[in-house]
Amino acid sequence: MDEREIRLRTSRRRLFLKTAIGTGIGLSLVSAFYVGASLRPREEVTPEKEPLKPGDILVYAQGGGEPKPIRPEELKPGDPFLLAYPMDPKTKVVKSGEAKNTVLVVRYAPKELAPEVAQHGVEGIVAYSAVCTHLGCIISQWAADKKAALCPCHGGTYDLKAGAKVIAGPPPRPVPQLPLKVENGVLVAAGEFLGEVGVKAEAGFCRHV
Amino acid sequence: MYKWLDERLDLTGLYHKVLRKAFPVHHSFFLGEITLFAFVVLVLTGVFLTLNFEPSIREVKLPDGRTVPAAYASVLYIDSLPFGAVIRSLHHWSAHVMIAAAFLHMLRILLTGAYKKPRELNYLVGLALLGLAVVTAFTGYALPYDNYAVTATRIGYGIANSIPWIGGALAQVMFGGEFPGSTHSIPRLFSLHVLWLPLLLMALIGGHLAIMVKQKHTQPRYAEKVAPGKILGVPMYPQQMVMMIILFALYVGIMTIIAGAFLAHPIEAFGPPTPNTPAVKPDWYFLWIYGILQIIPSSWEFHLFGATIGPEFIGGAVVPGLLALIGLLLPFVDTRKDKMRYLELPSEHPVRTSAILSLLVFFLMSTLAGYKIDFQQQGSLLGNNAVLWTLVLGGPLLTFFLSYTLMRIFYGKAREEKAF
Repeated sequence: MDEREIRLRTSRRRLFLKTAIGTGIGLSLVSAFYVGASLRPREEVTPEKEPLKPGDILVYAQGGGEPKPIRPEELKPGDPFLLAYPMDPKTKVVKSGEAKNTVLVVRYAPKELAPEVAQHGVEGIVAYSAVCTHLGCIISQWAADKKAALCPCHGGTYDLKAGAKVIAGPPPRPVPQLPLKVENGVLVAAGEFLGEVGVKAEAGFCRHV
Repeated sequence: MYKWLDERLDLTGLYHKVLRKAFPVHHSFFLGEITLFAFVVLVLTGVFLTLNFEPSIREVKLPDGRTVPAAYASVLYIDSLPFGAVIRSLHHWSAHVMIAAAFLHMLRILLTGAYKKPRELNYLVGLALLGLAVVTAFTGYALPYDNYAVTATRIGYGIANSIPWIGGALAQVMFGGEFPGSTHSIPRLFSLHVLWLPLLLMALIGGHLAIMVKQKHTQPRYAEKVAPGKILGVPMYPQQMVMMIILFALYVGIMTIIAGAFLAHPIEAFGPPTPNTPAVKPDWYFLWIYGILQIIPSSWEFHLFGATIGPEFIGGAVVPGLLALIGLLLPFVDTRKDKMRYLELPSEHPVRTSAILSLLVFFLMSTLAGYKIDFQQQGSLLGNNAVLWTLVLGGPLLTFFLSYTLMRIFYGKAREEKAF
């Protein structure tokens, strides 16, 4: 060990430098947490993004123009299902801003339905969430040969007569049913969805306002 | 004039030091350059597109009275500009070329063993570049906000969300909330697509090139016979420079013709997002993942430490993740002691070459599985899950044994000791 090295070891200049570097890195890391925190999105719930509530009127999701409530007589057994959004009965706001509100409505002959499915429907009309449990696409195709609903993204097929049992493709579970009733001649949600809607996500991460 | 500049900038010194650098020549060495040219064209056309793109999903009225998201309207506006649709198509097709060229470049590296000492690090940088290029392409996909793009991006959101433990947080940060639905999604994907990821790509490309210059490029085998111990190649200036300029000019010319003839992603035809899901197919470089997602049955779900590991996670993340892991570990498993200077011949390494061939067959077969629904609708035998599984698993295995046996017959056992 030469003289210079000994002087360096005993001197406090190195200690000072190390402390300065450490404090600098430490403080900048702490401030980086603020940046990280603002990466987290903040969810703003506007009226059209409100979740579906019991009593909401079901309206046609497609067609554009004025929201048009669905009347039971417009559905025929054997016809393809319809896509619908819930509409707040008081404010008349269609809750189409939230994909998870998309509902599919279909009519079968009442004797075709399994009893536990029929009890939540009206005169053979049943409704389910239209959000595929596989990767969250909207189930939008009607497989006429099986009288079943097909998600065009990865071919998940749901038997709507039997509680949306998955009969083909990769979805991990059925889409939840929506209890229905008829009020003033139009279809109305009689309750919440009877299960979790959409892809089963990890614990909520979003800050709700 | 030259003298005046030379006295101040020492151009002659620069010429002797840098511009005489030898570039080994082989046609497969241009694949990396094509990737770079595609990236340059992507940046230039991308900058043009930002001039008119509006990253927002607020509703705007079109002249024809329809109410559509602003992003969709702004892409319609870009398409209506003179040559606007051509530039957008050039951007789109260049992204395809960049990923294809990067993949072929990687195949060249794998087939010739160029990932070995001392180039392990640069190989890893290259893998990261390929992954980042794919992610960048994906973040750009949603931007036109048409029905097709939204559905395709929604699948990506679902896959991100399905990652156990961290998936929810990851998807929220990347997509700025729930996709589709959140008004923050498009601004965030836009920022990622035009700022964060391109800057990261530029930094990594710079590093990739700097390491290549420092370590020197591998040379074709003939160089060992012609000039042993030396670097055989053409100087950067003028020969290599001329070749690069010609190649770049050809790239721009040919791609512009393609972009003019084949308009990419016709958003007018797809329409703005509706609840009616179109029958989407992802771009070809995602089709193999898409195929795997289709043949994994719904019963593959189990629970682990409070998280759900579902079929969408296995298909969308575990399978690609495993392949990436094998890729990452490769240079540390297949090693050599001395520093590599000359390319290894694929024929001398039957195991490696056969494994790469069977990987290609795996990609092809799982891409085929991506057409499962179409096969089913035609009533084809290929719509059957068991048939597809046989092809996806059996095809690569068969390829491996066939290729290995054939290589052994044709190239002999003389080099058995070098076998791997």
